[in-house]
Parts: sequence; C-alpha cells; structure tokens
Amino acid sequence: MSKALKGNAKSLSRRQLLKSGTAVAAGALVFGRPGPFISNSEAATPTLRLLMWQPYSIKEIVSEFESTTGAKFAPTFFDGNSEAFNKLKVGGTKDFDMVMADGFWPRLYFRQGLTKAVDYSKIPNMSGVFPDFLPQSFKLLADEEGKNNVAAPNCWGGYGITVNTTNVAKEDIGSIELLLNSKYAGHLATNSRFEENIALMGILAATRLGTKDGPRPDGKPFNPYQLTDAELEETKRLLIEQKKLLLTRYQDYDALDRLMRANSVWAAPEFAETYRHLTVLKKDGKLNFDVEHVLKPKEGGLGWVDTWMISSEADSERTELAHKWIDLFLQKDNYAKVVRSTGYGGVVDVRSILTADESELYFQNRSAEASQLHMFDQPSSPEKWERIWSDVEAS
Amino acid sequence: MTSLEIQAPEAGVPARWKIPPQLLLIGPGIIFIIVTLLLPLLAVVVFSFWKTESYELFMDWNLENYWVLFREPAYRVFLVRSALGALATSFICLVYAWPVAYFIARHGGRYRLLLVLLLAAPFFTGVILRIAALQGILGPGGLINMALGMVGLQPIEALMYTPVAATLGHVYLFMPFMVTAIYLSLVNFDFALLETAKINGAGPLRAFVEVTWPLNWIGTAIGLILVFIPCLASAVTPRFLGGPKSTSFGMSLSQQFGETGTWALGSAMSVVLFVVSCAIVLLMGFTINPRRSGFTGGRR
Repeated sequence: MSKALKGNAKSLSRRQLLKSGTAVAAGALVFGRPGPFISNSEAATPTLRLLMWQPYSIKEIVSEFESTTGAKFAPTFFDGNSEAFNKLKVGGTKDFDMVMADGFWPRLYFRQGLTKAVDYSKIPNMSGVFPDFLPQSFKLLADEEGKNNVAAPNCWGGYGITVNTTNVAKEDIGSIELLLNSKYAGHLATNSRFEENIALMGILAATRLGTKDGPRPDGKPFNPYQLTDAELEETKRLLIEQKKLLLTRYQDYDALDRLMRANSVWAAPEFAETYRHLTVLKKDGKLNFDVEHVLKPKEGGLGWVDTWMISSEADSERTELAHKWIDLFLQKDNYAKVVRSTGYGGVVDVRSILTADESELYFQNRSAEASQLHMFDQPSSPEKWERIWSDVEAS
Repeated sequence: MTSLEIQAPEAGVPARWKIPPQLLLIGPGIIFIIVTLLLPLLAVVVFSFWKTESYELFMDWNLENYWVLFREPAYRVFLVRSALGALATSFICLVYAWPVAYFIARHGGRYRLLLVLLLAAPFFTGVILRIAALQGILGPGGLINMALGMVGLQPIEALMYTPVAATLGHVYLFMPFMVTAIYLSLVNFDFALLETAKINGAGPLRAFVEVTWPLNWIGTAIGLILVFIPCLASAVTPRFLGGPKSTSFGMSLSQQFGETGTWALGSAMSVVLFVVSCAIVLLMGFTINPRRSGFTGGRR
C-alpha cells in the first residue's frame, strides 16, 4: 500500500496531491465516513456505555465481557441515585446504554420513560438468583402493573449501624437512638448523603411521635421517604441534636474505615463495607476491638437492592450487549468475585463457591431480611428535604 | 502576508467588510470568554428565575429562588461562614506570604526563580490528593495527633474536622497564589528607595509602612483577591476537612446541582456568589491608587 502511494505521488504534482487530499478529507467530513485506509473505531468496536457505581466495575469481569463480545466497556461513575437520575433526565439516555439504581428508583426511571423493560429470557443466569430477589417476591423489579421487568437485581444490603462493641455498651446497641446517645459524643459519624440521614432519622422521629404504625395520609404502609410535615420537623430537630455529637460526616467508605480503625469513631450507619473489612481484620488478629453490624435497628432500617437497567434510547445492538453484561455479571463464578470485591450482600446463591465465613459475611443466608427493610426511595419533596438539610447544616 | 496586506482593500470587496488585524488577534480570546464564561453564566442567570420540582426544571419565570435565599437564614449562615473563613485564610496567607516573598525577591539572588517554582510544587498533584494528604496530617489518626499520643499528650481536637482544620487546608492550598502575587510585585520594586528613606531618617518599620507596602499594594491586592474569591466558593476543602459544623456556601451550592437536584435554587446561589465576588473585586479596586501603588501603566 505504501509503495503504491509512493509510486503515485511521483507522477502527481504537489498541487494535485493537495487537491485530492482535500477532496478526500471533505468527502469524509460530508459523508461521515473516513477514507478507505482509515478505520472508524466507533463503528468497528461497539461500545456499552454505563452510568454505574464504581465498585461494580470489576476488572476481570470487564475483561471477560470485552473479550467474549468484542465490545468496549465504557463506564461513568456516580454517587447517589438522584445524581444519576438527573443525568438521564437532561438527555443522558442518548449518552448511556445502562444505568444503575436501587430501591424504588427503577420504577421511577421506567415511569418517566428513561429506561426500557429488561428481558429476563435473555439472561439465563437469572436462574441462580435467590427467589427473594425475583420480581414475584421483590415487587420493585417490575412496574406497578407487574407487566414489565424494569430492572435486574445485582447486590443488596442495608444502611445499618456498625458498632465498636468494645467501646459501646451492649444495652445501647440495636436502636437508632445510639446515634443520639451523648455518652458517645465525638465518637459518632454519619455519611454525608442527605437522603439517608433524613430517612434513617425519620424512622426514629415517626417512632417517637407514634405515627409509624398508624394510618398514613397516603393510605400506604410507612415509608421513611414519604414523611409528613410533623415528622420532618421532628427529624430536623433530631438531626440538629445529633450534629453536636458527630465527629464528622464521612465522605467515603475508606474514610470511615480509617476512623473506626483509629478508634475515633465507635458507631456509624453505613452500607456494611467497613463492617466487613473490620471483621476480616479482626479474624486476622489485626484489630484490637470487636465489631458488630445492626442490619435492622428495632425501629426499622433502610435497605437497598442495586439493579441494572437499560436506557430507553439504547439501540438493539447495545440492548443486546446490556443483557449479555448482566448475564455475565450474574454468572456464579463471576458473582463470587463480585461479592468478594465489593463486600456487598449477594443476590445470587454462591454458597457452593464461598466459604462458610464468607457466606455469613455476604448475607448469603439472610436474603429474606431484605423485604423487612424500607427500600431506598425518592424523597417525597426534594425541595422540602433540601431545606431541612440546609437548616441542619447551618445550625 | 503582512498586516498591511490584510488591511489593503481588494477589488470588489467593500472596505467596511475588512476585519482589522487587531480583531483577528483578540477574536479567539473573545470567543473563548463568550463560550466558556458568558454563555454558561447567562444560562445560570436564566435558570435562577425558573423552578425545580422533583428533579425537573420548569420554565416558570419567578423570583422565588431569590426570595428563598433572602428569607431562609440557612443560606445566609453559609455565606457568612464562607466569608469569615475566606477572610481568615486571606489574613493568614497575607501575614505569612509577605516575609517569604520579600526574602525571595531581596535575597533569592540567582535562585529566585527556583524558589518561586518550588512554591508551585504542590500543584504537581491534584487538589483531592493534597487534601487527602492533609487529612493524613490533621486527622484523628494523623501524624500530629499520633505524635502527641506517643508522648502521652491529648490529641488537638481543633485539628480534627473543624472550621480551623478547613481554614488550615485553605491556607495550604492558596498560599502559593499570595506569595507569587506579592513576589511579582516586589521583583519590580526599586529597593534603592528604601536606602533613600533610611538616609532621610526613616526606620525599617516606617520605611516598610510608607514605602514598601503602598508601592506593592497592587500585588498584595491581587493576592488577596486570588485567595479570597476561591475560598469563598470553596466546597471540597470544607467537605473533607471541615466536619459537620463547616458547611460552606460552596458546599451547599454544589449539593443543589448534585444530590438534591434543586438546580434553580443552585443557580440563584451561583448568581449571588458571582455578584458578591464582583463586589469584592470592585471594592479592592477602589483601594488601589495607581500613583502610590507602583503601577506604572507600562511607562517608567
């Protein structure tokens, strides 16, 4: 090829060469196709664009996906549900083929036309999922009418309280009240996300007001994301009271991990990542205190089931890739890597692969408890919740 | 092609259509400012008069967002908190940066450039990394408190997730700006003037107050602006170092565009922050007397 070009160049004048080159470039620009000797990487390599939580981007599984499908895995990471939802709302359905969410959010995405139904028949490895996490039991995976599966389950867990049981008295463990106990002032922490802070304290507020188990204004069972004005006021009061006792609002799992290992924080609500890490350290004899995780405090707890969804504007090729990704992810060998890597509770039964300790750690025997937790949801009024949070932060 | 050739009218092309070469030079700059500053700013101003409801932005023209900022004390608290933090940071940077810049300018000799470059060394890494490093020094398990613990002393609580820790973080992050601004002013300062002041009976302090300080005020003012404005809008440093009592205006603002999805209110907050920043720059501008500031307008 290079020889031929060289030969041709000899017989052409400089001006002719420039003219032909310009014509090819202009043609490429106009018709969107480069010359025959330039490959269009976008067209040659299909890409699966995901808006996802960072821990699920597991190198080995991504490599397997890329080698088996020949597609490129292109993730973008986010933190909270509302952040991802906002991204899709402002045109992100064109930019992403898959998105992750938990709790009630998949239904909201589907209702707003941001995602399309997931075809379970294209995901053979759904057969390994615990029945507790199939749409028949876990209703939030299907739309309100139960006609379409809006998401595929991924991992699950709670927003329980991890406690240093060497420093915290036994009688103080098991209730959300621990997070307001002045005995532990300066040794408590919460995360910085406003939704979970308000929702968890909302459960306690409703319990104290005696409204949690009574009839609700919307006629539905109690949901800490649908608090009444009186409950929100009480929640605000409790959060302001709690603020004086906090050492910090940790930004990520690593920060809490450091603070608990340094014995600076004795109790903190979290996604059980720190608890699992500390448990492993304890077993290895590298920790000088005992640790416990209260998944469901006596007043009630928050929970989540992370899911995969497919963007409404993903074309057929990318929809196919999305199903393949979910299937590969839920495949048992891969899934064991997922729980070991993320430290989250598993929705796939991989007890045959994990050790007994690991099965305990990754909630393999506790899948039924997921339904007892209040699932993460969209706040009833983000504007009202924002004011509450601002008042707390300004106090 | 020379500039004369560009300006020469061509046959058939009216002279008024000719683009002056000066415009060709500043054109890219103007386009850059329009695209990256003015258009986003305009969008933010427009959004500030709209409303958000359940993560959706509605084109419903109103003043509600500004009314909320005026009515709700929380946002005023955030602004005052940020302003006080920025003021404290600017003052500490000023006091610390002057002797450093003076030393480099006066006694740095041939190492002056190297010393100034050393000040930029922290910029070789990202801001998050620098803050993480500070956490490793100031935090409960950090170097300072660990060392205190090893000699049997109590940890310094003020260093752990407090407004003091956030201010220290800001000082660390913005000090190089202040030193550089003052240094650049001092390298153009004629130190012989101090000898003249001394001959005329002025002591070192009086010479500084009446000669060095006023003639370098423009550099100092630029330094103050370069430190104060970013501190006022800072979100990352108070978030990682400040603890629950340090929520700043910038933190609250960034939350409006992220977690809470209240974009319209966030836009109004951005406009307020922009106006406050402009007011501060103007205020600083009024304090500069070109005749006494050492500013020569390009002529010496």
